[in-house]
Amino acid sequence: MMKTETSTAPAPAAFEPRITAFVCNWCTYAGADLAGTSRLQYASNMRIIKLPCTGRIDPLFVLKAFENGADAVLVSGCHPGDCHYTSGNYHARRRWTLFRKLLALTGIGDDRLFFSWVSAAEGQKFADLVNDVTAKVRKAGPFRAAHPGRRAS
Amino acid sequence: MKALREAAEKLLREKRVSLVIGYEGRKGRPAFFAAKPEDCGRLAYDASCRQNLAAYLGKPEIRARLPVALVAPPAVLRSIVVMSAESQVAPGQVLALAVDGDSYLGTFDAAGAAELLRAKYSTLAPEPALLERVQGLLQKSPAERAAFWEAEFSKCTRCYACRAACPGCYCSRCIVEKNAPQWISTAALGHGNYTWNVMRAFHQSGRCTLCGACEAACPQGLPLMLLNAALDREALEEFGSRPGYDPEAKPLIGSWSADDDHSYMR
Amino acid sequence: MKTIETGRLSDLAQALSAAGYRVVAPMEEGGVVRFREWAPGLAIAPGVVPANSLKDFLFPRSEVVARFALEPGGFSPAPVERSAVKTAVLCARPCDAAALAALDAVFNWDYRDGAYNARREAATVVSLACSKADEHCFCTSVGGAPDGVAGADAILRPADGGRLLVLDALTEKGRALDQAAAGALAEGPAALDAPAALPRRFDPEAVGRWLAANFESPFWKEAALACLGCGACAYACPVCHCFDLQDETDRAECRRLRNWDSCGFGLFTLHASGHNPRPDQSARWRQRVMHKFSIYPQKFKTLACTGCGRCSRLCQAGMAIAATCERIEALGR
Repeated sequence: MMKTETSTAPAPAAFEPRITAFVCNWCTYAGADLAGTSRLQYASNMRIIKLPCTGRIDPLFVLKAFENGADAVLVSGCHPGDCHYTSGNYHARRRWTLFRKLLALTGIGDDRLFFSWVSAAEGQKFADLVNDVTAKVRKAGPFRAAHPGRRAS
Repeated sequence: MKALREAAEKLLREKRVSLVIGYEGRKGRPAFFAAKPEDCGRLAYDASCRQNLAAYLGKPEIRARLPVALVAPPAVLRSIVVMSAESQVAPGQVLALAVDGDSYLGTFDAAGAAELLRAKYSTLAPEPALLERVQGLLQKSPAERAAFWEAEFSKCTRCYACRAACPGCYCSRCIVEKNAPQWISTAALGHGNYTWNVMRAFHQSGRCTLCGACEAACPQGLPLMLLNAALDREALEEFGSRPGYDPEAKPLIGSWSADDDHSYMR
Repeated sequence: MKTIETGRLSDLAQALSAAGYRVVAPMEEGGVVRFREWAPGLAIAPGVVPANSLKDFLFPRSEVVARFALEPGGFSPAPVERSAVKTAVLCARPCDAAALAALDAVFNWDYRDGAYNARREAATVVSLACSKADEHCFCTSVGGAPDGVAGADAILRPADGGRLLVLDALTEKGRALDQAAAGALAEGPAALDAPAALPRRFDPEAVGRWLAANFESPFWKEAALACLGCGACAYACPVCHCFDLQDETDRAECRRLRNWDSCGFGLFTLHASGHNPRPDQSARWRQRVMHKFSIYPQKFKTLACTGCGRCSRLCQAGMAIAATCERIEALGR
């Protein structure tokens, strides 16, 4: 999405990334909530999709996000050992290790796909994470329309 | 191949199986189904046989005729072991007529096949040339990799020959056949090709035995083995995964360890 | 005689391109020869049957047939492009050109398919007669010939031991192409090479008669054991034309897509109730053979097969329609 900044001198349109975040309900989503109630300021580029657990996240969801125009995807859940469903995040973790390899091979690398553990108490971590990821993606630029996984407009 | 034919004949004569699935000894080595001992004279095997006959174990018409015997080079032996580990075939329902090059190695059930693999084929891996191509691709920039796959996937016609040829693809309803919602676009021009090929490869993580039948079956010559080999190495390096050597093995993605790597997670 | 050196086919492509044609020709890429859009510098590979057929250019794998713009409270139809690019297909096989008659029939039967007809009208097909055939070819069994002209607007015939190609225009479109190509062609004598010798393997009428009378035959169960039900044969076939309509929606619009479909897929005849009138692969294989050699000819007076052999060349499991027809003819005797 393009946003023109108003200033006294003409400025180039800045690229504002669209980032999709798949987060678990019990930890990361609660952490995001805490960031909000703590009035922490963080970039608004991230659209959060809440799931009960990272174990529910089918890697296909990540591809769908890219397909539909996401410039980057963040997947975040409970720290190992803290999963509300005991082992959902362990299942997820194993999947991500393999899946990111496949995505890297096909042109979606570490500058577009991010993973984290954020607990319900880590509001600051969430805010910092969003700011950091957004800055990285802004630098990486728009996800190429020419990528074979992207829906042609 | 005389020993192979005799062994197949014996299995049918002794009614240990109702069908022998092998390759026919004529050009192209098509799949051949011998139901009578005297048909076994038409069986042959050599390196030009590229079909993975374990794919027939997912076919209802074949399942209705279990127990069956399959002519199985090492990669296919692994497929039989994987299907056993995934409870797709019960013990004794499939016998492998193990072959390698010109040799017939014996008749084995899944457990016996796994033992043979561990004893004589413990170092099966993707061909060095294939791994070099994977490395070569990884050394390119993400944009170059994207361009490479854009060109390749644009040829895909979504015929699903890769899926049909793979013994690991036995789902009675494939992810592409789900339309509420339509997870993967069925159009053969566009992003659906990427999603299909990547997800299909991913669904084989820790299960692919590198038989190459998918790539051989692809009418457009897509380099599917690049995806499979890359995942195979990752599964081995990260998790010590070697599918097809243990009929009791737990599925790779269906299990986990507290020690799994997460260095890339923040 | 109008001739061009076989090694200089690109000159013909160049001349046609300069005259405003989009040129489609068989070209090799990654070990596979495929009909693709030609561009200067690309070498034409005329020696084999390409992996794809001309279907790609007349009846694409996926095509938007209707479009609706989504608005608050409703939707409105949006225009769908129906343009067809003036195209010259070089070095089609005679079996590819012959298939066009079968496609023309079904796309102008109960509904005149505007998109197909526009592309068909805009295409000038130049066949290349075959001096060789492989073990999968069987055009002569289905009313065709290695130098057949059915469906072609012009034909290139090998001459002087394959060194030259002689161009003959056959239709109005062919004559227009001939004129456009004038700069690339030479004038002179040439001794035409004999077309490939391809003995007939079966009599399609005999096959059709057996098919009409043997729907319940146990032959099918055994004949289809090797088939794994993919779409490789149907998609490669120059005549197969079944399609599926799928709606795809994003936030801005809904597109109705027409995608290739194959009667080999288990889902092809699956009803919403769960009932499937073709519940196993033997029923589906039977349908494939019957459609091509019995049902379609009864309706359209033409076989739905031109003997190009792509299906058996590509099938890893060894399902060969010509071999099936030979067995059927033997059963009928």
